[in-house]
Amino acid sequence: MVDCSFARNRNRTGKEMKRRMRNSSLVWAALGSFICVESFYMPLGSWRDPGPGFLCLGSGISLTILSLICYVQSWTVDQEPVPLPLPRPRSRNLVYAVAALVIYTACLEILGFRVATFLLLLFLFRCIEPQKWGVAVGGSALTTGISYALFEMWLKTPLPKGLMGF
Amino acid sequence: MEVLSNIYLSFSVAMQMENLFYCFLGVLIGTLIGVLPGLGPAATISILFPLTLKISPTAGVIMLAGIYYGAQYGGSTTSILVNIPGEAASVVTCLDGYQMARQGRAGPALGMAAFASFIAGSLATLFIVLIAPPLARFSLKFGPPEYFALMSLGLILLTYLSSGSMLKALMMASLGIFLGTIGVDPISGYERLTFGSYTLMDGLGLVPVIMGIFGISEVLINLEQSIKRDLYKTHISQLFPNLRDWKDSIPAILRGSTVGFLLGALPGGGAILASFASYAIEKKISREPERFGKGAIKGVAAPESANNAASQGGFIPLLSMGIPANAIMAILMGVLMIHGIRPGPLLMKQHPEVFWGVIGSMYIGNWMLLVLNLPLIGIWVKILKIPYAILFPLILLFCVIGSYSLNNNLVEVGIMIVFGVVGYFMKKHDYEGAPLILAFVLCPLIENALRQSLMMSHGKFTIFLERPISLGFVALSAFLLFSPLLREVGKRVGAGLRT
Repeated sequence: MVDCSFARNRNRTGKEMKRRMRNSSLVWAALGSFICVESFYMPLGSWRDPGPGFLCLGSGISLTILSLICYVQSWTVDQEPVPLPLPRPRSRNLVYAVAALVIYTACLEILGFRVATFLLLLFLFRCIEPQKWGVAVGGSALTTGISYALFEMWLKTPLPKGLMGF
Repeated sequence: MEVLSNIYLSFSVAMQMENLFYCFLGVLIGTLIGVLPGLGPAATISILFPLTLKISPTAGVIMLAGIYYGAQYGGSTTSILVNIPGEAASVVTCLDGYQMARQGRAGPALGMAAFASFIAGSLATLFIVLIAPPLARFSLKFGPPEYFALMSLGLILLTYLSSGSMLKALMMASLGIFLGTIGVDPISGYERLTFGSYTLMDGLGLVPVIMGIFGISEVLINLEQSIKRDLYKTHISQLFPNLRDWKDSIPAILRGSTVGFLLGALPGGGAILASFASYAIEKKISREPERFGKGAIKGVAAPESANNAASQGGFIPLLSMGIPANAIMAILMGVLMIHGIRPGPLLMKQHPEVFWGVIGSMYIGNWMLLVLNLPLIGIWVKILKIPYAILFPLILLFCVIGSYSLNNNLVEVGIMIVFGVVGYFMKKHDYEGAPLILAFVLCPLIENALRQSLMMSHGKFTIFLERPISLGFVALSAFLLFSPLLREVGKRVGAGLRT
């Protein structure tokens, strides 16, 4: 899949690219090592009759070795910078969006689909890319209604009712 | 005679009212998401995946297939008018399409994109009718070693053809294999990395993982940056290309259709690769290569025909051999398997209505897309003006509902959010999601084939070299895996000799 990042305007120096590559490869190497360790607790079987841990161990070893090669490459191979200039990234939006999703998931079965969804949409419309109150409230209500009608009434998907029963 | 009876069966299934309705719905949604940047066919198919459980498997696959090839049509609209590809496979169309719009020729560009896609889609459907049955018969000769070798080849080919680093793509494929092992081992019943969770005993669900990696992460990436859309303000008229446009484009369309179909049918290939390859070929063989990038109509016709042919060509390995050619085919495979239908060489015999119905619907879908894309251009242009600030909450909501509605399980929503964050960091560090997803979907099949092969050979890996078909796949895999290294070594030796 091509990441259409040219449209997103990103400026990275070669040094920063190398640093990212080093950090990410260490994370994957750590994960690969964890997978290898966990695989040893599983029955590996034999070459004639591989056990459940066989492919797990293979993928762990593969991930670890490839990550370490990637780590070495980050020191030895020049990384090409992506040339386009870039406005400052709005990391706050990411935190808000992920936090909103986590809280929504936690509250969905407590508040019920309709209330939780309305509040989620209101928050996303107002706090991340602020819209006018009329648009936010109207859009949230309309979307909640349409999605309820689509999933609960047409597709018969049982959506949570919540403690209040709706 | 067999071909004619197959064509008759395909249209008799595709023309049933239910299937026609879902075909139309699929291509309409596909065009819509193709027009709107920020949501791709993979995420949309995974969001709508749960809906297919309420309808027949034939209608479900027809709808999801319509979304896939419909998105290729819609993606060209934003590429031409806004210079932002609605779809990754429409990136190349920006190069000449937007320039044509700036020259006041947005209409012919949009028209040619639609006609090229239609012609390519129709040709691809015909190729499938001719090729799929003999390919299915050939793959009946496959045993576990051949399947293992072919699936490994597919994964390696995908990593070889990845736009970024092959090493990183291989890492993601390894990770995908690991993620596919989580759950109860189907052979021994042993629990692998379930940590006592009942949800994880069933394994990581395909839908939450895909929605996270493709859907949620894409929204997070877009939220981080504001995407400015410069909608080129021009009155769009004269959607029909003139005679000279057709003269220039017909050979490009035919070449693009062939290249696209072949690359789409290759495991690991796909619409994106096909569109880039087709553009590169046209530029290479053109007598006026300097016109490319400045509004050459071939630069629109070729990639648009290639990406549509590729999207349909991808169905060949899935339907005939049971091997998904790319991540989207992997999702469709998941749809069929959840309905209890195993794609592969026996699909034609056991479920001919599914096999031929999907193929017939592709041809009908192409007609629907031609009707949707030309007269309704004005509506699509209006839709382009919807701010992303309004769209992204809807995308997030549908992702959550889609994940929840599968099993009414909030843990799966949590899994989706986790993979959304993981997918975000993957994109930031240039790790592609497609190898991960393809490996994740293929993992149960690969593991089964590997274990059966080793049991057959009493533990000897030489079984993969002793059987000719398997040997061919292994040799090709080895070539693809080591050729970048050999090229690098060759370059250094050459540089050393010159100094």
